[in-house]
Amino acid sequence: MAGIQFRPCGDFRTSYRADTTIFDDRFSRNFVIGLVIVLALIPIPTVFDLGFDVIDRYWTNLLINIGFLSIAALGLNILVGFTGQISIGHAVFFGFGAFSTVFIHENTGLPVFFTIPLAGLLTAAVGLIFGVPAARLKGLYLAIATLAAQFILENFFARADWFSGGTHGARAPRVELFGFEFRDAQAYWWLVLGYVVVMYLLATNLMRSRDGRALIAVRDHYLSAEIMGVNLTKYRILSFGIASFYAGIGGALFAHYNRFVQVETFNIFFSIQFLAMVIIGGLGSVMGTIMGVTFIVLLPEVTEGLAGTLRGTELAESLNLEVGLNFMKEMAIGLAIILFLIFEPDGLAHRWRQIKAYWKLYPFSY
Amino acid sequence: MNALKLTTATAVAALAVGSAQAQDVFVGHLADLTGATASIGVAYADGIADAFAWYNANGGIDGTEIAFETIDYAYQAPRAVSIYQDWVSDDVVAIQGWGTADTEALIQFVAEDEIPYFSASYSGALTDPTGDAERSPEAAPYNFFYGPSYSDACRALAQWSWEDWEASGGEGTPIWVHMGADHPYPESPRQACSEYATELGFEVADQIQYSMGPADFTAQCLTLNEVGADYAYLANIAGANIAMLNSCANLGVETQFVSNVWGYDENVMRAAGAAADGVVVAVRTQSIFTDDNEAIARVQEIAGGDDYQVLSYLAGVCSAAYMVEAMRGAYEADDEVTGPGIKAYIEAQSDWVPEGLDGLCYPSTWTAEDHRGLMTVSIYQGHVDGATEGQEVADLVADGVMSLEQVGEITLERRPEWLGY
Repeated sequence: MAGIQFRPCGDFRTSYRADTTIFDDRFSRNFVIGLVIVLALIPIPTVFDLGFDVIDRYWTNLLINIGFLSIAALGLNILVGFTGQISIGHAVFFGFGAFSTVFIHENTGLPVFFTIPLAGLLTAAVGLIFGVPAARLKGLYLAIATLAAQFILENFFARADWFSGGTHGARAPRVELFGFEFRDAQAYWWLVLGYVVVMYLLATNLMRSRDGRALIAVRDHYLSAEIMGVNLTKYRILSFGIASFYAGIGGALFAHYNRFVQVETFNIFFSIQFLAMVIIGGLGSVMGTIMGVTFIVLLPEVTEGLAGTLRGTELAESLNLEVGLNFMKEMAIGLAIILFLIFEPDGLAHRWRQIKAYWKLYPFSY
Repeated sequence: MNALKLTTATAVAALAVGSAQAQDVFVGHLADLTGATASIGVAYADGIADAFAWYNANGGIDGTEIAFETIDYAYQAPRAVSIYQDWVSDDVVAIQGWGTADTEALIQFVAEDEIPYFSASYSGALTDPTGDAERSPEAAPYNFFYGPSYSDACRALAQWSWEDWEASGGEGTPIWVHMGADHPYPESPRQACSEYATELGFEVADQIQYSMGPADFTAQCLTLNEVGADYAYLANIAGANIAMLNSCANLGVETQFVSNVWGYDENVMRAAGAAADGVVVAVRTQSIFTDDNEAIARVQEIAGGDDYQVLSYLAGVCSAAYMVEAMRGAYEADDEVTGPGIKAYIEAQSDWVPEGLDGLCYPSTWTAEDHRGLMTVSIYQGHVDGATEGQEVADLVADGVMSLEQVGEITLERRPEWLGY
């Protein structure tokens, strides 16, 4: 897709149409469609009480987390990976979406199902305003300007009782549609999965459009883009709006899943985590975003699991690790990210492409 | 390809580890051992873990061992929710929790799953089990905590301050100021406490902001001097308070500091040294480790020795002890330990103390309409007489350099309008 990539030999296109397909080849397409179908089938036994669960609540929770974070992270990837801008305040837009869906629901009485997209639009509007400095600033200067958004909105959440419930936070109701309440976490997974599919298709199609190409042109060489007639100001600010829209949708889904939102969640650490997700996944890769999010969500679970196996064993006791284990767990997360960036600077998406290329020519790979 | 192998290997390991425990009586313990509140979280978590280990070694629940798991969530609320879901998959019957944000995030989950949740957050918002109280944000039927709510502890400190003012023959209207960060935890008691201070006769000055992390607080101390505050309530946790006390000591501020339950303990006294001298703190337990009574002897047994234990450790022991006692009670009544059984047992008792801890844990009462377990607050004053650098808390206490002196015990009236607020 978008971005500079070298194609393996034998992989050539004979028409523009073939060059802009969503998936590189038929296998990729079938694989993704199959995966979505499998993921969509998971909740059926639980929701319809067939007496068994495909996955338990723990894995459902992780899936849902990966889902709404993927949507928000994709927004950041459009901003950072595709348009070449920077934002270190993505978490507050995520938070703005979370608070505004509750706010809209409470003040208009609209069913929650419809307040989620509205929250996205409201967040996009706020994002456009905070994106204005991008018209004039680049690089580190822009980063600091977006840092301002982080602090301004965080303070706003803490103070605006009428909007966010102040520091005490806000209760988010369950999603209900025509009498069907998304009561079970697994039913909620359907909603999240639906949004993931729609938002990812939207983003992929955006990148195949005139506007998408303009965004990439702004990233690759803004001077050339301007000479070619791309309105830099417009597209830079627009990409902030799009990124915020995605963050808002993700945040709204988070709110109705967690059913409680509070300013404390949307701190700068969370913003940095979003950046880590898109960098690890692969800047400028739609599918890489999901991989990056999965990596960041599962990493603490994996280290916790490893720490859990060590805890209480003779090895841990003989090395007196009981206290240190928790610190080692946190350090391991940092270490894994550092190692990852050293050995896989292009992200998981790049690795995934290499794996595909390897198998495509198997056993005659070069 | 190595990175891929590594990723796959760890993923497989995670799958294998995923759900390990599915015993009959499983209790989860959410602790902050490495995060932002670890400075106070470690001692409290030790108290809880040691107490559960002791109860297991002494009969468990009618011979059944309690499967007990401590997980460090590093004070990240989303992690707490994920760990919680994991535990629910493993049929957890009760949970010992920690901070304000994660406890409040889980209120509705634990209510639906009927899992008693003993938090170390004492937010007033957790005390209304029905949701009918005028000022409570919502029902929290499965939330419990041992100790006075943040609001009540602050009210008790305001009352102590008022009595102190009268006893010292002060003239005019004393000034009370609330100091804290713009954060759910220090904000929690602010309004409730300020209202009570006004009711007592204080002039309540504007709130003074200081961050949750330690920094230079000279500006805040200057403000204290400017407004001429007589009593200042420190609403943040230990780390920030150490910095605050140091900054104000450098400027010679004469305000009497009163601290919330998590804001001042032996570790703060050691770190702040002479600057921490004279600070007054709300204490949750009836006695402290240097007292000589049977309950403290039991604590020494639980801790596995007579090494000094700080205030939060004792509160952790009480929290765990109430839970185990309720589990035993629930087992006697129904022959099994369930969340609703534990809740029913707790709400049927009044003024009760876990066996063997009389004199440590204050007699508490939780009812089906009111989860303010404790309305009595012990008030202590810290004394630091000498240098504390480079020495252990235990030695400093043994040498008499540091000491905690009880200066009062306030029992607040159980006003209905204070419920859930």
